[in-house]
Amino acid sequence: MLLDFDKLGLWKWILSAICALMALFLLLPILFIVALSFGNSRWLIFPPPGWTLKWYHDLFADPRWLSAAFTSAKIALVVMVLSVALGLLASLALTRGTFRGRAVLRAFFLTPMVLPVVIIAVALYAAFLRLGLNGTFVGFVIAHLIVALPFSVITISGALETFDPSIEDAAILCGASPWEARFRVTLPAISHGLFSAAIFSFLISWDEVVLAIFMASPTLQTLPVKVWTTLRQDLTPVIAAASTLLVGLTAILMIVAALIRKGKSR
Amino acid sequence: MHKKALALAAALTLAGGVAQAQQMVFTSWGGTTQDAQTEFWAAPYSEKTGTNVLQDGPTDYGKIKAMVEAKAVNWDVVDSEFDWALQAGKAGLLEPLDFNVIDKSKLDPRFVSDYAVGSFYYSFVIGFNPANFSGDQPKTMADLFDTAKFPGKRTFYKWSAPGVIEAALLADGVAADKLYPLDLDRAFKKLDTIKSDIIWWEGGAQSQQLLASGEAPIGFFWNGRLAALAADGMPVGISWENNITAADALVVPKGAPNKDAAMAFIAEATSAKAQADFAAKTGYAPINTGSPELMDAEVRKTLPDTQTGTQINADMAYWAEHRDEIGTRWYAWQAQ
Amino acid sequence: MLSFLSQGRRGSGWGMALPALLLLLAFFVIPVAGLLSRSVTEPQPGLQNYETLLGSFTYIRIFLNTFLVSGVVTLITALIAFPVAWALAIMSPRIASVLFAVILLSMWTNLLARTYAWMVLLQQTGLVNKLLMGLGLTSQPLQLTNNLIGVTIGMVYIMLPFMILPLYGVIRKIDPAILQAAALCGATKGQALRRVLLPLAAPGIASGALMVFVMSLGYFVTPSLLGGTSNMMVAELIVQQVQSLVNWGMGGAAAFILLVVTLALYALQLRLFDAEAR
Repeated sequence: MLLDFDKLGLWKWILSAICALMALFLLLPILFIVALSFGNSRWLIFPPPGWTLKWYHDLFADPRWLSAAFTSAKIALVVMVLSVALGLLASLALTRGTFRGRAVLRAFFLTPMVLPVVIIAVALYAAFLRLGLNGTFVGFVIAHLIVALPFSVITISGALETFDPSIEDAAILCGASPWEARFRVTLPAISHGLFSAAIFSFLISWDEVVLAIFMASPTLQTLPVKVWTTLRQDLTPVIAAASTLLVGLTAILMIVAALIRKGKSR
Repeated sequence: MHKKALALAAALTLAGGVAQAQQMVFTSWGGTTQDAQTEFWAAPYSEKTGTNVLQDGPTDYGKIKAMVEAKAVNWDVVDSEFDWALQAGKAGLLEPLDFNVIDKSKLDPRFVSDYAVGSFYYSFVIGFNPANFSGDQPKTMADLFDTAKFPGKRTFYKWSAPGVIEAALLADGVAADKLYPLDLDRAFKKLDTIKSDIIWWEGGAQSQQLLASGEAPIGFFWNGRLAALAADGMPVGISWENNITAADALVVPKGAPNKDAAMAFIAEATSAKAQADFAAKTGYAPINTGSPELMDAEVRKTLPDTQTGTQINADMAYWAEHRDEIGTRWYAWQAQ
Repeated sequence: MLSFLSQGRRGSGWGMALPALLLLLAFFVIPVAGLLSRSVTEPQPGLQNYETLLGSFTYIRIFLNTFLVSGVVTLITALIAFPVAWALAIMSPRIASVLFAVILLSMWTNLLARTYAWMVLLQQTGLVNKLLMGLGLTSQPLQLTNNLIGVTIGMVYIMLPFMILPLYGVIRKIDPAILQAAALCGATKGQALRRVLLPLAAPGIASGALMVFVMSLGYFVTPSLLGGTSNMMVAELIVQQVQSLVNWGMGGAAAFILLVVTLALYALQLRLFDAEAR
């Protein structure tokens, strides 16, 4: 009865109301920021006295925003590729390896996800100051790779666990080499896992703030760093305009992902 | 492995591909002030020398110290507070300035040291939203601290720096010429009385936003930020009574990668014309003695250098000497 | 599992873990260890940083704030997430998919964008205060930012999806027949909820809660943008010590305490839930 929505009686309405309120709560800031980006008040007075496209104009007129977005995309792409590659190898070791201590190794691989990013950021900042990696592209990639890797390991090893390795064996019995079997049989079978790992890794890097604040230099800033410094120094509605574009991008990515999933299930 | 190698190769080419044109980095506090510095200092400088000036910020003393210690400096010229510059010069964090390049004969001698020259000088003034105080309007430091007469949140500068401590002492009845050495116990006791009503502002833009949105109807501001708000059409009340001046400094962190460009930039930024243009735009006073004659008389009236009646100059030397000690107490008190 | 061919002999396969392992050793373990070691070597060797941290109420309050906010955030997210996850698991798939889209959209929207929105929404003259005053719930605008209330609202917002999604997974797996059996035995809805549904969902609630709590402990962005100076949280303390005061010793010590608490909770979670999953 409690698991049949229509037999819940009064409770059905209570649950529905809670869901509606929660949806409102989740949507409010997103809709608000879209509205704010079109308001003409420099000092974030809401509702604004009028509407304008000025902030979008300012956003595109300032090359620093575009170059920050470009930097973010470049870093996120490299992080995505490396994270999936390393994650795949590590996951193969975790699910197919027969060595001892795999549970410990797995737990270890996931620690960067559990540990507060702030600790990793401060520690890497100190190390990179000595290595001269602060404010470099490589430094950014390494920092983001550390926090993206656990998500790759989780999603890829999850996919590997549901895939029966005896299929790989069958391929080998039919004359394929072990690596050939992995590439031509296993990889396609876990492609959805690789795909999610790639998306996760990209988004983690693309969205990451705390590490980026410490890694950034005047010549190399990611989009979140640009938003962060603007937030702290300027508070201009240009941030709302940039955020609106980011929300739009997220929505588009979600729709694309949903369409891909739909296409697959057919 | 193929993918990885490709990605690594990509990473290396991208990292090496940073533009090679001559450039330097100028770091300041963001907002309308840095916009003006970009427009009136950096742009003419770039035009004359062909050196591209990258803007960074906000100024962060911890970062400077860390960069100098690690010998990994990537800021060439930094706009800092003057008392910090004096202290940092002594502590070996700064390059000595090259006065063969920078002409110090035209600079206000109050703002010249071996390691720093003035960037501009400003006043901390009382600012308020007239709509919130239709009857009596706040005028004195005592008013700023009187939550019964002028209710509402008040906003103060968050970081340990000349200004707020002096204001608290003045509000408590200390005579303007008896401020130094600062009686910290007395100042914190006075600040305690309004602590729950304080919203701290971290940067100039935030202070403007707090006042404009009504979040804090009254506070203690950099005069230039209030001038910018007024220019934007916002209703702003200003009281210059006992305005407290402090200066910003231009410094070059030790080991800055483009030292020569940095000196040339400072020379340009402190020239009479650059200082005059900057002052007219921001409402901060110029430190070049040749600037006032280049400026419109009407504009000059809104600058701190014409509000000298009850003006108090914060004691930069005192602050430079006691900065750490006051800072430690300040942040501990804030966190309490 | 009959995979003898692709697996090779016993003890093999670790080589594939090597690249990731080396990366983490070089850029995670060693830097973190280096940071922690500075807590007992700077400015002088000894435990004085820990004495300062644990000996002064100023710093203890920062830790208490952190635990308090994390606890309250966890509680509120659990209270909202349980009914939502429950409804999601049983409502019509079409409405559920709309709700899921909303949850995912908020989850994947840029963190700073969301926090920025709350900064503006919650200010004294912001929309939320205007709404509350319009509804007559308060006559004076409430102070909702620059304090722990703002931090809590902002963090609940961010953490909600992390609680709803795992709980949804757990509730969906519950066999409706068990609850039917409860009904047949004469249990009222309230009894069935208390004695059957909640206990069955408890592992999901506990693991979600632990995750939210641990994530909240180390959060930096939301507290620093929505919180006030007098109500710092540990992550802010670490950044302040390292970035503004260049006091690596104190920063390292605060990081070490945070690290120990976090890893202890992580170990607890592994024990509690991995044992079950096996």
